[in-house]
Amino acid sequence: MAKKAAKPLRWLRLDNAAKIFPATIRKNWSNVYRMSATLSDDVDTVILKSALDIIVKRFPSIAARLRKGMFWYYLQQIEAAPEISDEYSYPLVYMSKEEMGKCALRVIVYRDRIAVEFFHSLTDGTGALIFLKNLVAEYLERRYRVKIPYKHGIVNRRDPPAHEELEDCFPRYAGPVSAGRRETSAWHIHGEPTADGFLNLTCFMVPVKEALEIAHAYNSTLTVFMGAVIMQALMNLQKEKNPDSRWQQRVKLMIAVNLRQLFPSSTLRNFSLYTIPEADPRLGEYTLDEICKIIKHKMGTEVTAKHMSRVIATNVNNERNPLVRLIPLPVKNAVMRAIYDRVGIKKSCLTLSNIGQVKIPEAMARYVKRFDFILGVQAEAPYNCGMLSYGETIYINFIRSIKDAELERHFHAVLRELGLHVTVESNLSGGEQTCIV
Amino acid sequence: MYCVKCGVRLADTEKKCPLCSTVVYHPEIKRKPAEPLYPGNKLPKESSDSTALSGAIVFLFLIPLVICFFADFLIDGEINWFGYVGGALVITYIAFALPLWFKKPNPVIFVPCNFAATALYLLYINHATGGGWFLSFAFPIAGGLCLIICVVVSLLYYLRRGKLYIFGGAFIALGALMLMAEFLMGVTFGFKFIGWSVYPLVVLALLGGFLIYLAANVRMREILERKLFF
Repeated sequence: MAKKAAKPLRWLRLDNAAKIFPATIRKNWSNVYRMSATLSDDVDTVILKSALDIIVKRFPSIAARLRKGMFWYYLQQIEAAPEISDEYSYPLVYMSKEEMGKCALRVIVYRDRIAVEFFHSLTDGTGALIFLKNLVAEYLERRYRVKIPYKHGIVNRRDPPAHEELEDCFPRYAGPVSAGRRETSAWHIHGEPTADGFLNLTCFMVPVKEALEIAHAYNSTLTVFMGAVIMQALMNLQKEKNPDSRWQQRVKLMIAVNLRQLFPSSTLRNFSLYTIPEADPRLGEYTLDEICKIIKHKMGTEVTAKHMSRVIATNVNNERNPLVRLIPLPVKNAVMRAIYDRVGIKKSCLTLSNIGQVKIPEAMARYVKRFDFILGVQAEAPYNCGMLSYGETIYINFIRSIKDAELERHFHAVLRELGLHVTVESNLSGGEQTCIV
Repeated sequence: MYCVKCGVRLADTEKKCPLCSTVVYHPEIKRKPAEPLYPGNKLPKESSDSTALSGAIVFLFLIPLVICFFADFLIDGEINWFGYVGGALVITYIAFALPLWFKKPNPVIFVPCNFAATALYLLYINHATGGGWFLSFAFPIAGGLCLIICVVVSLLYYLRRGKLYIFGGAFIALGALMLMAEFLMGVTFGFKFIGWSVYPLVVLALLGGFLIYLAANVRMREILERKLFF
């Protein structure tokens, strides 16, 4: 089907999943994540800025500012590309509402790395990756005079945005029956917070081939396998902190689900949900094989079009209610924030979001050394984990807002026992003064 | 290079192991020079928003304070009721606005400050009205309440667990404080001891005891969580 050209964009309603994020912004926390590409040479910021000028026009729903209406927030297209920012000692520096009011994304350059930080209301990981790929493609074309073919998410940047890319797909795929929201509380990691909101990043680099071999030995996909390793690490950590199993709490992992795999869609807005496998340590110790089965079966029953259409219906029905729609925004914010604080925060120990294998055209791959996906920490829980694979390596980025790398140590211990060769790096390598550990 | 303590392979950028903080060193292996993943010692500037807000709040408190002062003074050239209004405004400021000056206000420090300010305010009222009840009634009651709340706040702030035990104990202590209040009212104001304080004592002790029982009984807690979830 031929894509229809969109009219010049002035503003967009937030999609269904995006509505919760502005309501839950705090004084020191907002839901921001980062997608970055590391190139073979240092980045020329003048050329990158000219490439960004093109990209912001091509992706108006992502290069946007967050504005406040009487009843809902909305996105407004930005007139000009934001300035390129310098890197700080840690990623995902707090993005305030004032900053989002000017532009809800940042483009950051550090040596050979181009990073884009997105407020989650703009798009999900899939949309963010397409934005970054096209930004890098435009930059490489201008810098090295190469022609990069339109495939693997690279589009013609001179074309106007297609309607399908701007669509909120949630209402279209809402099922006739809604699902319940009931969810038990999970164990939460506590630790001494870092000073001044500093975030510690630890990146584990694992060979894809080795990890896949072991994952297949457990009859699992990479997401299931890595999810199981994280859950095993969480259980070991909880046992270390609280050896009496009677007082231990459920270990739950929120795994992001890309709905584009279940429903036909080419939207660049948010179109993802989650599933939460859990293990209860009070029932005894779990082997990695058992945890893999728990996650696999949970995903098998929940990551289906039918089940997800029920979950979508639950979320969409609320915003369709005319009475809810008429409630002024400050009241809506207070209610959504209260629900999030009461239920949302406690749902899981941490989130694992796997972007999957990043593919780019051959002409581009010779200039791109690696990609990284970094989730911000949750409002109350101090950890989160984003992963992707590029080339022969899986990049697993743990972010944390506490001083001690206790979960990372347990995660590495599980991988080591499995015989995986892991290399680790962090954002503390820049100098002793930033070493908070 | 591998970490000698935890055995993880380290990227060439790492000066310390990111997992266990062990310094990376090997006398015989020379490491390749590598650029750090992030620039060192480059932190975002502090936002001045909270300072501006705190300053604006001081201004908002000063306006009624100044108006009341002049309103009281201009009537007969003397200060009559301004002390009560001014004291109440200062206590409100200390309780709600003063912590805004601090990035991470520690309640373990601010709660006793609030009680000290309240005690001073009561002392002023006692002095202004010639009451004679401060030392024998107001001070011990405010002191007892301060002690209970300070202990609760400190335990909640530093322990982060055992909330049911803490609140259970606090309820029982509050019940005992009621008994003390009735006794001191009798001593100070000559009220006859009729035992009204036994009722709140019993209710608070039962409530506190129930919370402690709940804290010890995981099964009961789960049943209640399941039934009362909203």
